[in-house]
Amino acid sequence: MKTYVLRRLLALIPVALVVATVAFVLIHLAPGDPASVIAGPDATPDDVKKIEQQLGLDRPLAIQLLSWYARLVQGDFGRSIFLRKPVLEAIVERVEPTMLLTLGATLISVLIGVPAGVISARYHNSAADQAFMMVALVGISVPNFLLGLLFVLFFGVWLGWFPVAGYSPLEHGWAPTLRSLVLPSFSLGLVQSALIARIARSSMLDVLREQFITASRAKGLGERAVVYKHALKNALIPTITIIGISFAILLSGAVVVETVFNIPGLGRLIVSAVLRRDYPIVVGVVLCVAGVYMLVNLAVDLSYLLIDPRVKYQ
Amino acid sequence: MTRHSMLVLLSTLILVVASTAAAQEKPRTGGVLKAAMIGEPPSLDLHSTTATITQQITWHIYETLFTYDRQYNPIPMLAEGHSVSDGGRRYTIKLRRGVKFHNGKEMTSVDVVPSLQRWGRIATPGKAVFKFVEAVEAKGAYEVVIHLKEPMAALLDGLGRPGNAAAIYPKEVIDAAGDGQIKEFIGTGPYRFVEHKPDRHIKVSRFNDYAARSEPSDGYAGKRTAYLDEILFIPVPDVAVRLAGIETGEYHFGQEIQQDQYDRVKRMKGVEARIIKPANWSTAVLNHKQGLMTDKRIRQAFQAALDMEPIMAAGFGHKEFYRLDPGLMHPEQPQWHSRVASEFYNQKDKAKAQRLLKDAGYSGQPVRWVTTQEYRWMYQNALVAKQQLEAVGFRIDLQVVDWATLVQRRNKPELFDVFSTGFTFTPEPAFGASLQCNWPGWWCHEEKERAMEALAKEADPKKRRALLERIQQIFYEDVGRIKFGDSFALDVVRTDVRNFPVRPWLAFWNVWLMK
Repeated sequence: MKTYVLRRLLALIPVALVVATVAFVLIHLAPGDPASVIAGPDATPDDVKKIEQQLGLDRPLAIQLLSWYARLVQGDFGRSIFLRKPVLEAIVERVEPTMLLTLGATLISVLIGVPAGVISARYHNSAADQAFMMVALVGISVPNFLLGLLFVLFFGVWLGWFPVAGYSPLEHGWAPTLRSLVLPSFSLGLVQSALIARIARSSMLDVLREQFITASRAKGLGERAVVYKHALKNALIPTITIIGISFAILLSGAVVVETVFNIPGLGRLIVSAVLRRDYPIVVGVVLCVAGVYMLVNLAVDLSYLLIDPRVKYQ
Repeated sequence: MTRHSMLVLLSTLILVVASTAAAQEKPRTGGVLKAAMIGEPPSLDLHSTTATITQQITWHIYETLFTYDRQYNPIPMLAEGHSVSDGGRRYTIKLRRGVKFHNGKEMTSVDVVPSLQRWGRIATPGKAVFKFVEAVEAKGAYEVVIHLKEPMAALLDGLGRPGNAAAIYPKEVIDAAGDGQIKEFIGTGPYRFVEHKPDRHIKVSRFNDYAARSEPSDGYAGKRTAYLDEILFIPVPDVAVRLAGIETGEYHFGQEIQQDQYDRVKRMKGVEARIIKPANWSTAVLNHKQGLMTDKRIRQAFQAALDMEPIMAAGFGHKEFYRLDPGLMHPEQPQWHSRVASEFYNQKDKAKAQRLLKDAGYSGQPVRWVTTQEYRWMYQNALVAKQQLEAVGFRIDLQVVDWATLVQRRNKPELFDVFSTGFTFTPEPAFGASLQCNWPGWWCHEEKERAMEALAKEADPKKRRALLERIQQIFYEDVGRIKFGDSFALDVVRTDVRNFPVRPWLAFWNVWLMK
């Protein structure tokens, strides 16, 4: 087990390296450069060239990549061109809102998605099932930014229950933080809950058709025990996989929702970095998100151990 | 008197009383003003960028030797006054005494000289001014002498312009930064820099030792008072969120709301719509250095084909927010505005365009037009113009990219024929990017360059106006750029923000909050 985890962790290194290289090369090859953005709209080409030289962006890409590797080996992710601080520091500052938002959204999606899926499966083909799945279909189809804007309009502007935008950091107390995250978490989480509900339902339906379910019913177990004890536990593996994936999807969904709700998290960080070509930040955030993806995958794989005694890792 | 006219009289009376009451309202000190801005400034070093948002935020922190009064005449700010000698070749600028930087140090010539020199080295307008400058030297602690190679009447305008301004920094800040970005944001302004939390806010707070001028406020000049405890400049890139935040009172001020929202904003309670006039002229810049547009006849065909009304209507949505006008300067600047060569503006002459294209031997080569949706109006202007141009035989290859790509691509003459942009309001034509030869598009024309140089040197207002009229004539005959029209911005503000005049450059000094 320990060797397995160690092996998986070591395997992160080459993946991270490939991700970093691809991100570095792609963003540098993209048209546009930070020097023109710094210089502003009225600057002449000569002004822009001067700033390019100051930033070292006039060097060949291969040289820039090599010097970046050299620094990366020493744990130095570089400095942001616009934020005047190390990339790592900029990322750490932004982790709090994004993590809280993603956790909140995951919680909402699980709390709504799993029960909805289970109930739909239990009362398969009933009116409740149809209604849940209809809502889920709509949910999957609605883009989260639209849902976000509708929430802003309804709960922010008309009812005035929640702030329309912005984020209050935890250091100012948890209540305002929670308040500022309700709308974004819901607009992110609701869409995912639809996906989770559909997966939970279909895996429950598969399990409910298994012979051991018929056997438990035959030996006279109550329907509740059959569904919630035997079936649900067995249906959890695909559901947990999808929750893991959906956590990662939510992390990237935060890019859009953070922009709509003006939350200064990782999503906003990378969007503004891409727009003004803050290369070190773009690569840093991509690396960081890739790392989280890989760790979440590992956690999901390990969680099977707890749920399913048949699973063994060597 | 009928009932109707009674009502009119009564409401007029109420209005008069109410506005007099507002005018006489006692300023209130305190409060935090939250301004929802369109984004983050690319830099807080006013010398290093021409970005308007940097100016809007940082000129609360930094000041210049001169600034502009209501009529856009340059008048002293950090300077006490100036004298000109040696046939216009020597400017002696006297500095105000007792002006403190935010670090507590007094501002003297020791700070002013390196600030001006750095501005002359790295700022776009600074370089244009310093072409004429031979040397800048300190004469005692409170005098600075600028020696010119030849007389230059526009010097004070150059020193006073707010964008990419000749801000006065402490010497230590300049020594630490060299020509790179400054690391400390210290000025002499009514507000001092507190913190910059990217994507969250830039916070400035009242500078208690601010040395205000004694003259009453006039335009951007005269007495500046920091009534507010703090100003938070909050980047809110999504325009719908800016507006929603104003509606709920989360922000006091919201910048650049979409103009088609004007009628909705007017109906909102506690919110005032402000038409910022003039703001821009919307334009298509043609590439004079390389490619199709180097042929004057093709440029003339381009100009002849366009019908500006639908182009501007598509871009700015609401009649209140655009104006068809041929002037290189705006009608709000009567000393400059002219309708010379207006016969070449908004011609809508398809036959002429077709004839010119035929004369030029144009055979449908694609015209690469780089535009962006990041500024919706640029894209919409381009889209309508494309249709009109294709109707006379042009083939337009509209390349829609993000702003960062556009500003890079336009520096490379091999990559475009036309690009979209806007020229922001400027009080002095000698420094506007719209007419510069070394600016992307490279509109260099022998007679125009001579006239531009003369414009910078000439002191007589009448002769300066005549020079600009000549430049305007050449602008249209040679088709320097394509001007679509003047556009105005829509800003929104909560009604508890007081003494906040509508004007082209955003400034929150002298503004207070009524609770």
